[in-house]
Amino acid sequence: MSQLKTPAITLKSRKWGEADRIVTFYSLRFGKLRGVARGARRMKSRFGSALEPFIHCDLNLFEKRGDSLYRITQADIQETFPSLREDLALMSGAARMVNLVAAVTAEGDPSPRVFETLLGGLRSLQEGSEPGLTTLLFQIRLLGQTGFRPQTDHCTACGKEFGKSRRVGLARFSPQTGGLVCAPCASRHPDRCLPLSAGSLAFIQQALHVPASVLPRLKATGRVRHDLEAAIESYVTVVAGKRLPPVDFLAPPVSL
Amino acid sequence: MSVDQQGLLAQLIRELVRLPGIGQKTAQRLAFHILKTEREEALRLAEAIRAVKEGLAFCRLCRNIAEKELCEFCRDPKRDRTKILVVEEPSTLYAIERTGGFHGLYHVLLGSLSPLEGVGPSDIRAQELVDRLKEGEVQEVILATNPTIEGEATAIYLTKLIKPYGVRVSRIAYGIPVGMDIEYADEVTLIKSIEGRRDL
Ligand SMILES: [Zn+2]
Ligand SMILES: [Zn+2]
Repeated sequence: MSQLKTPAITLKSRKWGEADRIVTFYSLRFGKLRGVARGARRMKSRFGSALEPFIHCDLNLFEKRGDSLYRITQADIQETFPSLREDLALMSGAARMVNLVAAVTAEGDPSPRVFETLLGGLRSLQEGSEPGLTTLLFQIRLLGQTGFRPQTDHCTACGKEFGKSRRVGLARFSPQTGGLVCAPCASRHPDRCLPLSAGSLAFIQQALHVPASVLPRLKATGRVRHDLEAAIESYVTVVAGKRLPPVDFLAPPVSL
Repeated sequence: MSVDQQGLLAQLIRELVRLPGIGQKTAQRLAFHILKTEREEALRLAEAIRAVKEGLAFCRLCRNIAEKELCEFCRDPKRDRTKILVVEEPSTLYAIERTGGFHGLYHVLLGSLSPLEGVGPSDIRAQELVDRLKEGEVQEVILATNPTIEGEATAIYLTKLIKPYGVRVSRIAYGIPVGMDIEYADEVTLIKSIEGRRDL
C-alpha cells in the first residue's frame, strides 16, 4: 500500500453499499482513476461535497496492489464551480465535458493537457461563456488531445491528400472514419457523410491549434455552427461508442 | 467451504447478490444465516416479500407506497392539502414524516433528473406533480430533493415547471448538521448555509 496525492476533477460518482461511493476522477498525475470513498454518504462524512461531479480537489489516495480501485482517504476542495449546480444549461454542458473525458480516456494513462483542458472548460462555463459553444470547442479540443483528432488533410476513406488545391466549398465529414472524405468517396456513401462548410472546417483547425487562452475568442454562428454541432455530435457518438446525454439536456424551455 | 454453482444455496446467493448494497461475501453470509435459522423465521421473510409484492402499489396521487389506491397520507383528512413536499424516494418521505414537523401532502418522484446519466423528465413523476397543481387546491410546493447534482437539477427543473401555476415554490434549506463544528463543514455546504440564512 502506498499513499498518493494528486489534483483531480470528479467525473461521476455512484452509490456503493450502505454508505459508500465509488467515484471516477480525472487526475493530473494518474489520469482517469476510480476510488472508493468509505462512508461518503453519511451526514458527518469527512468528504462533504468534495466528491460531487465537477469539483476540483486535491485527492489523497491509497493504492492497493492488485486492485484497480483506489481507496480515497481525503479530498480537499480547490474549486467548486457553483454556477454549474445552479443553471441547467451550464450543468448539461459540464456533464457533456466530464462524460466525454470518461468515454475517451483509459484508467492509469495520465495526460496533463487533458486535465488542463477539462479544468479550462469547466472554468469557462463558470465564468459565463455560452454553454453550447464552449462545450463544442471543448469537445474538438479534447478529441485532438486523446488520439481522435478530426482528420482534415487527407481523405479518410481512400487516403488521397487534399493538398493546397483543395477547392474551398462544401467538404464532407464522415463520423465513422473521423475525418473528411473526398467527393468520389462521399458519393459512394452519401448517407454516412455530413456537410461541412469552409467556415466550419476553419473553426475545427483553429479549435485544435490555437493556444488555450485564445479559445474564448473563437466564434461560430448560423450555418457554420449548425454543421459543426451535427458533425461533432455524430463523431462523438462513434468515438464514445454510445449516445451521450445531449449538450442541451434539460436546457431547452420546459414544455410538459 | 465452496458452494457448488448449481445448488439451492448458490441459487439463494445469486438472488441476494442482486439486492442493492449486497456483495458476494455479504450474500454468502446472509445465505448461510438463512440456512441456519428456524424454518418459521426464514419463511416469515419469504412471506413478507410476497406480501409486499402482492399487496402494495404506488399511490395514485403522490406515488408513495400504498396498500390501497391512495396512501395513508393522501387518505388522511387532517393533512394540509395546500402544501406538497416533493421528495425523490419514499424513504425520504418517511424520514421527514418521523420528524412530525410537516403536516401537508407529499409527492414522490421515484427518481431524479441526471444530465450525467441522461435521466430526463419523462423518467420521473414530474408530469403527475403538475397534474395535481391543476386542481387548484395547492398553494405551496416544497422541493426536498437531495443536495446532489441530480437533486439540484431536479429542483431547478421543477421550479421552472411549477412557477406558471402561481404557487409558491421553496427549496429546503442547506445547512451545517446539528452537533457539528462549523469549521469542519465543507465549502459548498458552508456557502449554501450562508445563502440560506434567515432573520432572527
Ligand atoms: Zn477518398
Ligand atoms: Zn399518496
